[in-house]
Amino acid sequence: MTSAADVIVIGGGVIGSAVTYYLSREGVKVSLVERGDVASGTSSACDGNILAIDKMPGYDSQVTLKSQQLLTELTESLDYDIEYTQRGSVLVVEDENQEQVARDWFARQKEAGLPMRYLAGKEVFEDEPLLARDVVGLVECASDASLNPMAFVYGLVDTARRAGAMVHPFTEATEILRDSVGTVCGVETTRGTMSANKVVLAAGVWTPAIAASVGVNVRIEPRKGHILVAERSPRPARRKVQEFGYLLTKFGGTEGRNVEAEMDRYGIAMVFEPTEHGNFLIGSSREFVGFDRCCNHHVLELMARRALRFFPRIRDIHVIRSYAGLRPYTPDHLPIVSPVPTVPGLYIAAGHEGDGIGLAPITGKVTSEMILGEPTSITTEPLRLDRFDQ
Amino acid sequence: MDDDTIVCRCEEVTVGEIKQAIREGAVDVTGVKRRTRAGMGLCQGRTCEKIVMRILAQELGKPVSVFELATVRTPVQPVTFGLLAEGSHD
Repeated sequence: MTSAADVIVIGGGVIGSAVTYYLSREGVKVSLVERGDVASGTSSACDGNILAIDKMPGYDSQVTLKSQQLLTELTESLDYDIEYTQRGSVLVVEDENQEQVARDWFARQKEAGLPMRYLAGKEVFEDEPLLARDVVGLVECASDASLNPMAFVYGLVDTARRAGAMVHPFTEATEILRDSVGTVCGVETTRGTMSANKVVLAAGVWTPAIAASVGVNVRIEPRKGHILVAERSPRPARRKVQEFGYLLTKFGGTEGRNVEAEMDRYGIAMVFEPTEHGNFLIGSSREFVGFDRCCNHHVLELMARRALRFFPRIRDIHVIRSYAGLRPYTPDHLPIVSPVPTVPGLYIAAGHEGDGIGLAPITGKVTSEMILGEPTSITTEPLRLDRFDQ
Repeated sequence: MDDDTIVCRCEEVTVGEIKQAIREGAVDVTGVKRRTRAGMGLCQGRTCEKIVMRILAQELGKPVSVFELATVRTPVQPVTFGLLAEGSHD
């Protein structure tokens, strides 16, 4: 198979699909290659959050806010039901020890322009009546939303295909090809050579292995996260709820949470997400254990225990399934959305850890802008590949 | 089976919806499951997966034997949060 496109996108998860969608919309001829089915890696083993509340106040949360705005437009232009709902989300403040840190977080996010509220005392239980009675506060972000991540990918790919994109599932990229002066000229795949003078590597945790074929070092590591799926049942909360301590497990540090050592060891923090089908999801865990995607039963037990601490009323609801996914972690919790300085024509869009679904719209748009040589919607300096070299 | 026949009773997925998922690119039981929710309900596909395999075989013109069941996900039987948290379930 030899086929010529303007751009080859490697990776049919949410990021590669968003890049393909935005480029196709601009009339660029794109070939998307994915080694399995689309939405079969990390994008099939995550939850569907579009959250600004848990981003670092400032650049990080602003970028997410921008992505949320793009998503609102997207839901109208995709001819596919992606189960999008915008109900806002809350962080639960567990006790007095967390209160000051939580109020500071709230103030900084509000200052950064996010639609935030702080609820205390009685207001907490008027908002979410089934929360454990000893929690002391809620931090709310009204713009937060959720969707079905797999449907989102199918919708992006489907719409891109109708705009002319060529989608090649079950086609693994094995090597990035360069011409005699070192510029990108195509991709070698398990189904033959494909030509293009621009390549976007959007393969999440599998990005470093492919980048190594052109001697590029990418600082992404797989960080495993588990999720429990509950049966259809009356909802313990009407929207996304996370414990405030989730920020501690996300950004590092174990101060301020009174939990058994095992909880910190596996980075367990309660995350609750209702789905459009009446089920709900419970997360979360964080571990560096290579590429192992198997569920660890002990971790699932700890997650269930942590969920009961905040929602004691779910005790008799059944867990029907669990899964684990590999989040593409970077050392500073920001993705890499960048040209590769040493390989002209090569771009990387990967490393979103647990924020890939939410950041896919802005990542797709900015990558498209970079390739077309247009001014980017956000400043991309903090997302450069070479920032870790300094 | 006509297109209105329900294949996955837990999630109420019809033959027609499964055929549509195959037209959209599903080539295996997992691909159908992700696109339609067939097998994502309380019974986790115990009832419908074999029927999904037959529809895949018919639509893609392949023998049923080439298709595999979706990956079995823990827990094997539904378990309550209470029991799971106590660690009394394996």
